[in-house]
Amino acid sequence: MTPHPGSPHPGPSSVFADYFDGKTAVSHRVRLVWNRVRHQLEITLPGQTDPIVWLLAEVRRLPDQASRNTVLLAHAKGGPARLLVRDISIVRQMQTTCRALEPQENMTHIWRRLIFVASGAVASVLSIVFLLVPLLANQLAGVLPSAGEQALGDATYQQIRQALGSQNGPGIKECHTTRGDSALEHLMWRLQRGQAGKFRIKLHVLDHPMVNAFALPGGHIVLFHGLLDQAKSPEELAGVIGHEMGHVAHRDPTRLALRSAGSVGVLGLLLGDFAGGAAVLYLSEQLISANYSRAAEAAADSYSIKLLNEQRIPTLPLADFFLRLSQRSGPLNGLMSHLASHPDLKGRAEKTRRANQDKMGFWPVLGPSEWRDVKEVCDR
Amino acid sequence: MAPYTLTTQTAGSRGALFWLALKSSVLTVLTLGIYRFWMKTRLRRFYWSAICPGGVPLEYTGTGIEKLMGFLVAVVVLAFYIGIVNLILVFLSFSLLNDNVAAYVLSFIGIIPIYFFASYRARRYVLARTRWRGLRFGIEPAAWAYAWRAMLHGLATLLTLGLLLPRQTFWLEKFRIDRTWFGQAKFTQEGNWKMLLPVARQMNLGIIFLVVSSIVGVVGGDPRSALLIIPAALWALLGFVHFQVQAFRILAEHKRLAPGIRFAAAPRTKRVIGIYSLGYALCGLILLFGLVLLFIGIFSLIYLAGAVPASGTLDFQTVLSGENGALWQAVSYAIGALIYFSVFIFWGVLRQIFVTLPLLRHYAQSTRLIGSHHLPEIRQRARDQRTGAEGFAEALDIGAAI
Repeated sequence: MTPHPGSPHPGPSSVFADYFDGKTAVSHRVRLVWNRVRHQLEITLPGQTDPIVWLLAEVRRLPDQASRNTVLLAHAKGGPARLLVRDISIVRQMQTTCRALEPQENMTHIWRRLIFVASGAVASVLSIVFLLVPLLANQLAGVLPSAGEQALGDATYQQIRQALGSQNGPGIKECHTTRGDSALEHLMWRLQRGQAGKFRIKLHVLDHPMVNAFALPGGHIVLFHGLLDQAKSPEELAGVIGHEMGHVAHRDPTRLALRSAGSVGVLGLLLGDFAGGAAVLYLSEQLISANYSRAAEAAADSYSIKLLNEQRIPTLPLADFFLRLSQRSGPLNGLMSHLASHPDLKGRAEKTRRANQDKMGFWPVLGPSEWRDVKEVCDR
Repeated sequence: MAPYTLTTQTAGSRGALFWLALKSSVLTVLTLGIYRFWMKTRLRRFYWSAICPGGVPLEYTGTGIEKLMGFLVAVVVLAFYIGIVNLILVFLSFSLLNDNVAAYVLSFIGIIPIYFFASYRARRYVLARTRWRGLRFGIEPAAWAYAWRAMLHGLATLLTLGLLLPRQTFWLEKFRIDRTWFGQAKFTQEGNWKMLLPVARQMNLGIIFLVVSSIVGVVGGDPRSALLIIPAALWALLGFVHFQVQAFRILAEHKRLAPGIRFAAAPRTKRVIGIYSLGYALCGLILLFGLVLLFIGIFSLIYLAGAVPASGTLDFQTVLSGENGALWQAVSYAIGALIYFSVFIFWGVLRQIFVTLPLLRHYAQSTRLIGSHHLPEIRQRARDQRTGAEGFAEALDIGAAI
């Protein structure tokens, strides 16, 4: 780099600046010339005659600097060398004309890598939540001891009551009347005749208008008030409860609860909300709408049909109930009902209808006055 | 002043920072949070360049993209950890103890080492992207070693109700500083933890006062003793700030940079407390004033739009159920969202200009470098590529300030 004969002499137009070569921490007091003919900066180190030349087109200014009265310059071709200029006229010109330093000049390469990393991240998180966690949850649900399953059910039942109730309140109301309770007990006795010791079912009625029933781990079965209003006969109700008993027997809710416990944390991570309200709401929503697989629903139906046949209860009312449910459309009360969440209600109604067998004659499930007591269990 | 001493000057006005912070906060909200990686980058460039030891500004060379990529990688690792580990913990907790409290406790404890790990990794990234006089800083990788030390020290501090905080502060600072480099020159933290004891006295007295007044309140059952807890807590808090400020000074005076460079610092507790109290008071007042102005503006607009009936009273129920009800409802939602995000943005921006910047200035201006004639002996260090940015810290929301 030799000085060109055409370049103006470093005289009045030259200023002092600080140059850092990026190799040592030496602060070089240099002579700086802005050569307007050749469009370049000429940086002359003390004791040297040949200047370091930076073409103006390749000079970059560091962006977002606090000081308005200095400018820190770099060369686009990389390297940590820096030039600190304090001369106010050069500073002003550089602040308006000089391009800002890009971290890397080849940005398309970086963006391509970002897209690669981002899609990899999304795919990994999705496969953790939808593949790995369910797989593990299914395995663990099978080996969870029954006392642990009971405790899990108790905890989730309380959580759901809280989530459905008002904020900070005691949770949604459980429906109880002396006569209603004994009628429901009778109904459960009728369904479990001769099956004692298999598992204990704890039946709850909650004061909620949604037409829904669902099962929780450890033998909890929850009926919403809305379902009792809709049910036309005790046989219908018995069929629905039988279906939920099927889920309990197959441990479907346990699998779902464990799966949600895994996903809840991930969800919190993505929403930046650790152990927060969103996570609990999500967990409750999962269990209330209980979107089981087609196979799990069919298995629960079969369980219910088998139970009804054994107990000499007609299955036609349950088939009617499925049919009526299929004719209602749209989400119910914002939350999706577990009972309505299955797509093939008509097919299930048909299968249930065909299972109706009365070789030995049916026994009524409840008498008319007991049925009235059940329907009025939430009235006070 | 001793020869070869560099004082630290500061640059940058509140106005410039205000516009930078405001602009990038708005962009962050508009991009649903993605711009926050670039916002952090730009604010750091500003703050770094505001610190000029010997008149030469620090330089921050981090980028938004590397932060975003580090975040994405960290999210995958954490999603795996949280998803699988939480599931197994819940399972074990219910199988063995018939209860989920153990799972929650263990899950929380499991996050603590990741927190310290993340804070060390973040420091490594930030130092690797900091330059002064053209030379890079750096810190050796030791995040897990740091995490378990930090946990043990934290536990000791917790069990002694803060009496061992000086010990924790010194040893963790020594762990970090003894691994920190400027170019190829190594830092060392000299001294011992007992030198921090005198400046912890007020904090300890405050804590003892707090404990005694709480015990008296609980045992005596006199509700008036609750009044004692307030001055006790204030005493402990101010004592804590005093300890933080003076520990910075003492630790700085015992730091060495290899070829014979020392440091001196003289931050003042009163000044720091003044910045905190005045700064937050100003933030609150300006925000309140702004909200009042906003409400006046909104109400005058509603008035001008003719929503107020002749009687002169404004009944929102009537307006919302009136002929243009749907429109007014949309307007009220929009106004609600506007107010929510304005408060969120302006609180952050005001805190930057009234608390963060003044604090940074005070600490910087009170710090000197002694032995600057040794600086030319220091040579450049290689670039630390594999820092993963500060992904874990981002994912766990550590260090929300800058």
